[in-house]
Amino acid sequence: MFHRILVEDWQRGLSILSITLFFSVFIIHLLRVRRMSAKSVARLENLPLANDDHE
Amino acid sequence: MSTLPAGTKTRIEFDDAPVRQFMIASIVWGIVGMLVGVLIATQLGVWQANFKTSFLTFGRLRPLHTNAVIFAFVGNMMFAGVYYSTQRLVKARTASKLLSTIHFWGWQLIIVAAAITLPLGLTRGKEYAELIWPINIAVAVIWVIFAINFFWTLARRNEPSLYVAIWFYIATIITVAMLYIVNHLSIPTSWTHSYPIFGGVQDALVQWWYGHNAVAFFLTTPILGIMYYFLPKAAERPVYSYRLSIIHFWSLVFIYIWAGPHHLLNTSLPVWLQRLGVIFSLMLWAPSWGGMLNGLLTLRGAWNKLSTEPVLKFFAAAVTFYGMATFEGPLLSIRSVNALSHYSDWTIAHVHGGALGWNGFMAAGMFYWLAPRLWKRPLHSQSAANMHFWLGTVGILIYMASMYVSGITQGLMLGATKDGGTVLAYPNFIEAVTSTKMLMHVRALGGLMYLVGFCMLAWNIWKTASGAEAVNGSIEVYVEEKPVSMGIVGGFLNAPVIYTTLLMIFVSGWAALPRLGSAFCIVAILATCMAMSMNIEFSKKGWNHWYERLLDNALPFTALTTAAAFIGGLVQIIPTVMVNTGNSVEGVRQIPYTPLELAGRDIYVREGCYNCHSQQIRTLVGDVLRYGDYSKIGESIYDHPFQWGSKRTGPDLAREGGKYPSSWHYFHMGDPRQISPGSTMPDYPWLFTDKTDTAALPSKISVQRRIGVPYEPMTDAEIQQRCDTQAATIASELKTAGAEVPPDREIVALISYLQKLGKSEKVTPVGPAKTAAN
Repeated sequence: MFHRILVEDWQRGLSILSITLFFSVFIIHLLRVRRMSAKSVARLENLPLANDDHE
Repeated sequence: MSTLPAGTKTRIEFDDAPVRQFMIASIVWGIVGMLVGVLIATQLGVWQANFKTSFLTFGRLRPLHTNAVIFAFVGNMMFAGVYYSTQRLVKARTASKLLSTIHFWGWQLIIVAAAITLPLGLTRGKEYAELIWPINIAVAVIWVIFAINFFWTLARRNEPSLYVAIWFYIATIITVAMLYIVNHLSIPTSWTHSYPIFGGVQDALVQWWYGHNAVAFFLTTPILGIMYYFLPKAAERPVYSYRLSIIHFWSLVFIYIWAGPHHLLNTSLPVWLQRLGVIFSLMLWAPSWGGMLNGLLTLRGAWNKLSTEPVLKFFAAAVTFYGMATFEGPLLSIRSVNALSHYSDWTIAHVHGGALGWNGFMAAGMFYWLAPRLWKRPLHSQSAANMHFWLGTVGILIYMASMYVSGITQGLMLGATKDGGTVLAYPNFIEAVTSTKMLMHVRALGGLMYLVGFCMLAWNIWKTASGAEAVNGSIEVYVEEKPVSMGIVGGFLNAPVIYTTLLMIFVSGWAALPRLGSAFCIVAILATCMAMSMNIEFSKKGWNHWYERLLDNALPFTALTTAAAFIGGLVQIIPTVMVNTGNSVEGVRQIPYTPLELAGRDIYVREGCYNCHSQQIRTLVGDVLRYGDYSKIGESIYDHPFQWGSKRTGPDLAREGGKYPSSWHYFHMGDPRQISPGSTMPDYPWLFTDKTDTAALPSKISVQRRIGVPYEPMTDAEIQQRCDTQAATIASELKTAGAEVPPDREIVALISYLQKLGKSEKVTPVGPAKTAAN
């Protein structure tokens, strides 16, 4: 009863592409983040804590 | 970067006037949006609260509520947070005072225009995208002005690195522009009316790609940026894990854009898109909770302050609500859960957890933190702020609890069957309405409590600011050396990006290609991995430096973020838009509306009927038993805009045509309770006195033709004559049933439309007939 007549074969490849794309980006950022220097991290994470004369 | 030479010491005075302006505007519009919310919540339990007045009916006010909360309340709050934090994070004054001023007043004018046009029934008929086309253009222009000012400020910065909050702002600016423009592509028929270029399933997909990502990139990413700036400030300690924030950002940007189809589960949207939406929605759990935990753990060592600091109370509760809402979102995207929750109040509970808990409490925390600094005076009343917190929290909990009970009751009752699943347990829709009516009153009470709390905030901020001097912050900075520019090309043509792209192509090929191609791709994957390992080993510095340089270079960073958001949209939308509607109609094709029916449809859209009635029978037993065979793609291909809806306060209307005589609709629109005792639908007396606008039909039909609806050539006189003939037939039919009305009245046109719903012709699919199991 619940069938679909759309020819979807080539679109199915897009699902694979999208998941591959995400995991590629995810893994490269994971690797990159692991290699970030502690000095660089400390500098970046303290950026919001610089006070102006408001604070 | 700054034009001053490196090593120079300079003092910068920030421009905090726009921050104050946007903050005040957010508070004022917040009260308006919430007040309208309380009114429409009341209308759902007390139909008399519609006041038998066209501009105060639920269908017209609900879009005003959603637009006011999203674009006016959260929008203005977001701009206040962005202007304040960006200047401090990049150590530069906002680039252009003029652009900030245009941005502020332009945005307020847009909101005023929306507040006037929506109650007048001037709408595009798409949720959160209701504003008419001239306002759409104004939104796009003002957004571009904001973007120019923002990126210009980045270009003049004295801080070489871009903090994670700035990344979230960049993603917001780019993605919202893209979403807004695509979903608002329309062809005008007059100065106040247009038809979207997409129709039926295409329009549904584009709409929910936009609708979902409006939540993602308007209500979430900028607020996360604000969280990453203001939470460490308030807690006086750095974010728990900066590394986690990087993963949070990239994962969120890459995943969010794909998840839109989860709003269309079990509908006639192609199944591959539904599956894609489910998978990516489930994947959203991880980054969302990563961000939530990062926010909460930033409070490590500062939990004791929560008992005294209202700002931290609001932030902690807001982040907790973010965690709850982002846990629930993927849960609701599971098809079996969605079968129960969709079209019910469960979804309403979910969105209000996000809007009131996450957005509303982040706004409150930020305003309480900002006010003493922007006016150099302590907050007028800490105890009032604490009282606001508790009123708001209890209000949200009452609201959500009532909506959960109501939603699950509606879902269970409307889907319940007996006798082996062959008969509906509750065949009359009104049973679900009357069973949950008391919960509507409870919901209105919860909303009212939240509104009272927010009014206390307005009073507190007013008392803090009144008589105080508005001051701008300033900071002394050392101008640092300019980072080496990467340029757009440098951002893309480098080892990390090239190897990632190659890997992506080969992995996709391995999964999608037939045997030989797949084998080649496996070899290619291995070769690429080896080459990449060698490259990393021999040019460690290059790989390490690429990312750190990327963080210093806004332009390639923005380009990569754009690509991330863009690809998700393209992959989903292009195949759907390219689908040949003639070949993919699943055996039935919609019959185009006659001129009178088209006029009736425009009245249906004007009154916002889609806010309570869907036009989509899902592939679920309960739906099919109640409304007839499930909806096919072909049944709405000529609907510009689509009207599938997202909530069933009343029954589905996909197959309404011919179900009842015209006189049934006549009496029902005049007094719904006369036909359906217990109904909460408003009366529509003006439909019986106002005349149908047939003069606009030639222009409308001409535009319909341009967007692909196969109307045969008709002169203006022929259009009018067809209208008159059909109207006279319906009026005569009504008269026979004791309902006398002149044929030129709007009720006649509306009845003609309602009687057409579900009328289609059988067609033979063209092309290869392959079946995809659902």
